[in-house]
Amino acid sequence: MKAHWSLPLLGAAMLVLFVVGLFSGPAHLEWSEEWAALQGRGGETAGTIMWQLRLPRLVTATLSGAALGLAGLLMQTFFRNPLAGPGVLGVSSGATLGVALVALGGASMGSVSGTGELGPQVVGALIGGGAVMALLGLVMGRFRSRTALLIFGLMVGYLAGALVTVLQAGAEAGALQAFVHWGMGSFAHAGWASCTIMLCALTPAIFWSWKASNSLDMWTMGALTAKTMGVDERTLSWSALGTAGILAALVTAWCGPVAFLGLATPHLVRAAGVRGRHSTMLWPVVLTGATVALLADLVVRLAGVPLNAVLSLVGAPVVLMLIVGRGRIFSKFRAQ
Amino acid sequence: MVVVGRNGTGKSTLLKTLAGLLPPKSGSVNLGGASVEAMRPRQRARRLAFVSSTPPRGTALTVRDVMELALEAGGHPVEAIRVDQAMQSGGVDQWAQMALDTLSDGMAQRVMLARAAAQSDSLILLDEPTAFLDVVGRQEVMADVGQWREAGKTVVLATHDLDAVHESGWADRWMVMRPPSEGGAFLPEEAFTSDAAKALLMGKD
Repeated sequence: MKAHWSLPLLGAAMLVLFVVGLFSGPAHLEWSEEWAALQGRGGETAGTIMWQLRLPRLVTATLSGAALGLAGLLMQTFFRNPLAGPGVLGVSSGATLGVALVALGGASMGSVSGTGELGPQVVGALIGGGAVMALLGLVMGRFRSRTALLIFGLMVGYLAGALVTVLQAGAEAGALQAFVHWGMGSFAHAGWASCTIMLCALTPAIFWSWKASNSLDMWTMGALTAKTMGVDERTLSWSALGTAGILAALVTAWCGPVAFLGLATPHLVRAAGVRGRHSTMLWPVVLTGATVALLADLVVRLAGVPLNAVLSLVGAPVVLMLIVGRGRIFSKFRAQ
Repeated sequence: MVVVGRNGTGKSTLLKTLAGLLPPKSGSVNLGGASVEAMRPRQRARRLAFVSSTPPRGTALTVRDVMELALEAGGHPVEAIRVDQAMQSGGVDQWAQMALDTLSDGMAQRVMLARAAAQSDSLILLDEPTAFLDVVGRQEVMADVGQWREAGKTVVLATHDLDAVHESGWADRWMVMRPPSEGGAFLPEEAFTSDAAKALLMGKD
């Protein structure tokens, strides 16, 4: 499949899923009721369902999927590693720890159940994710290799995980349940304010990624070659890591630690035959991420299974199939 | 110029310093009157190209993509006809649509040489470019370098491949790298040959 006709196809799939999502849900509203509510007419209940529940949820899924897909692509390109995803920097682990501190460390967890769009758990996640980003910035100059960076992310993950376990052991049952629920991931907790913030981060991220696509392409030929072709290693590292980190932190803040989407989306796009230049993959990846997120959310709502379970149940076999079936996916990324 | 020397005597370090990738311990590297280490990476890429001994792995770029990026890096217009020319003169046009990862190490290395030629009109630094190549590949590389010389480019080649250099016959200046205990780097003045270099390196002088 070539990029130029994958785009309209993906756009159409995304639109269809968005519309299907908009007109389905547990409320059993009539079509006419839903249509009227969208136009601002009709009953107050239908209006609330459409404008305060379904639309923000669908927009959140679209933006989060796009953001995670892009972050995954950037990390796989930057680390030249097919297993890299938005999670490798430890940013989402930090965000999870932030939420655990807020939710299990005493503050009320009422907000997690869905009302507090800018509630304490979101603030906790943003501070936690931001702290890891700041730590990364402080130590990055000392790393001699990108492998060291990967290990840093892994260790931050273990550290945060251990602290979360400590907090969980001492938490009361209700708070613990709410926290575990948050960890399953959901696009339902976000509202219009968070959608706006995500859009404000995603737009410049896509723009930068487009502008830096030549540098990112040169980077895949190895750091030494890229540097002698005019790539400023420092600028590229900061921008790539910063962009992916911010996107991952924002998605985690409102949707929980969403699994697999960032890792699997670029592989799906490559499996469809769109590969090569970064600028070729950028839009297909963004649209595929959004489409998969919308599809997963639809399954969540129809089957009542948590988001992360849906994504992992589908994502893990897909990635496995790609590896077994094509075999070359790993050799393609052989480290230089 | 051909730079020869035993492993660990600083050939790669010298080339990387010339490329502005490493800061010189003392002195400075000047290119066309401007200091290389003070240049921004983008400016530097327009004046010199560098090929390392290891061909790139883990990239889905096609040969054509690589050439487009090379022209871009060198500040040349990225036109289809220039891309074709660059691939033809580098002898890699038959692989144009193939991804670099599907090529063998030797083929990928030839692509990187063609890339360097497309990028720089003036200075090309080659750090043991033939390490992965078979006999024919080595001859082809040396022939490429000969063509660049005729086109007026300056080439600095670090190599262990004295025979291939000898056969190609274009080497006009030499530099022999030796450990400080054996006298350090040495720039032979007169007509120097690969045989003389070999003898010098093996300590038979």
